[in-house]
Amino acid sequence: MATAEKTEPGLLDRVSTMVENLVKVTTTKAPIGKTPRQAIWTLNKATLYRYTPVKPPEERHRTPLLLIFALMNKSSILDLRPGNSFVEYMVNKGYDLYLLDWGVPGPEDAHLDLGDYVLEYIPRAVRKVKQVSGSETFNLLGWCIGAMLSTLYASLRGHSEGLKSLVLLTAPLDFTDKEQISLARMTEERYFDVDRVLQAFGNMPAGLIDYGAKMLKPVENFVGGYFRLLDNLDNPKVVDSWHAMNTWVNDAIPLAGGVYRQFIVDFYRGNKLITGTLTVRGEKVDLNNLRASLLNVIAEDDHITPPCQSARLLDKVGSPDKQELRVPGGHIGVMAGSGASKGTWPKVESWIAARSD
Amino acid sequence: MSEANKGFDPIKLIREARDGGMDAWAKLMLRLTSSHEYQRVQGAISKPTLLAVALYRKAAESAMSEVLANLNMPSREEVLSLSTRLTHIEMAIDDLGAGLEQLRRAVGVARPQRTSSRDRDAGSETRPSSAQEA
Repeated sequence: MATAEKTEPGLLDRVSTMVENLVKVTTTKAPIGKTPRQAIWTLNKATLYRYTPVKPPEERHRTPLLLIFALMNKSSILDLRPGNSFVEYMVNKGYDLYLLDWGVPGPEDAHLDLGDYVLEYIPRAVRKVKQVSGSETFNLLGWCIGAMLSTLYASLRGHSEGLKSLVLLTAPLDFTDKEQISLARMTEERYFDVDRVLQAFGNMPAGLIDYGAKMLKPVENFVGGYFRLLDNLDNPKVVDSWHAMNTWVNDAIPLAGGVYRQFIVDFYRGNKLITGTLTVRGEKVDLNNLRASLLNVIAEDDHITPPCQSARLLDKVGSPDKQELRVPGGHIGVMAGSGASKGTWPKVESWIAARSD
Repeated sequence: MSEANKGFDPIKLIREARDGGMDAWAKLMLRLTSSHEYQRVQGAISKPTLLAVALYRKAAESAMSEVLANLNMPSREEVLSLSTRLTHIEMAIDDLGAGLEQLRRAVGVARPQRTSSRDRDAGSETRPSSAQEA
């Protein structure tokens, strides 16, 4: 009887916590992207943020660091939640940190293409970073499509605009091995009419991008994640992490029609960057002109951008100081997973630190 | 309680069976969705859907254009082009501001106090001028 009295409330508490957690994750959005920051520049939908430094100027790294994320998801993944935020980690390490957030394109932005992002938005944001930081040089970190944009920028303007070092995370650049790239198969010309999609929607809708990405691992994405949550409903750590990630995943944004067409036609189908035939507003993109120090981070279990998509990059660029870093993890987990703070972040940070003073 | 009874956990067994089933299902689905046949079916289904959406969009836009014209209001195209022009103006102002800042630095004139609401937001952090800090 005494044992029953002791265990019964425990069980009830557990069930009540589980129900509470279930209600929380299904009815609310997790607070993500909360590291203090100020908007210092805007252009159309894009905003440049500067994170509030926590260290005095004399203890900070001299070279500012600019972060660029993909166009079809919100950049809050870089600042997921306190204790699991790459932004917070870098600010605590003494970086003068900036983030270029692309915002959400509307129907009026359907014409935006690579030329707009690479030659209009990024150079102006870089100019503001240099003005605010007072530094003539800067470091750049791009992730996913942000890494692709950063590569194009670094090849076309990086040298003349003071780019000191470039970090690429899971960059989709090489489309030679199409059988290894599920998204390339999905967007083959015989199955997928990109012009018809854009005729119907103007921009590529967020829902379709999300569906395409989830169909690369349908069971894990549509079912498995929810089972993982149900199994751990009484574990607040797992629930909070799941809640934050789920909030971010379900907050996808559309992709400007012009740039989406270029991704499909010039990259997925034409593989023009690696073959040296890509032009942006008439300017040929030559990877040999990428002279900044380069760190290419490859996620070994990435099913969205498999390792073959950037494994040959180092042979193509003109940087005298270049390095490849292979880390365990998937496309997002490599930077936002529970192991990132002890795995990827310190390695990336120490590489940047050596090039920041 | 015997050791054998202690170790028996029906929930764990159910979970293991479920996870095993899920793994097999995941592999099967992956094979299916990666196949060219699947892409072909998906393409065949999406073509008429996209065509219908495009036709509907075109019809709705032309009907709306007529309504707006009759109401003496700007059409969708006009509003969209206005947005593009505003972005171009924004870029020109940005370039002018940067040029001015460069001139100021060149002649060594201190930056005047900012007063507009946009600049107040931008410069809300207490911080000496960047040049001083550098």
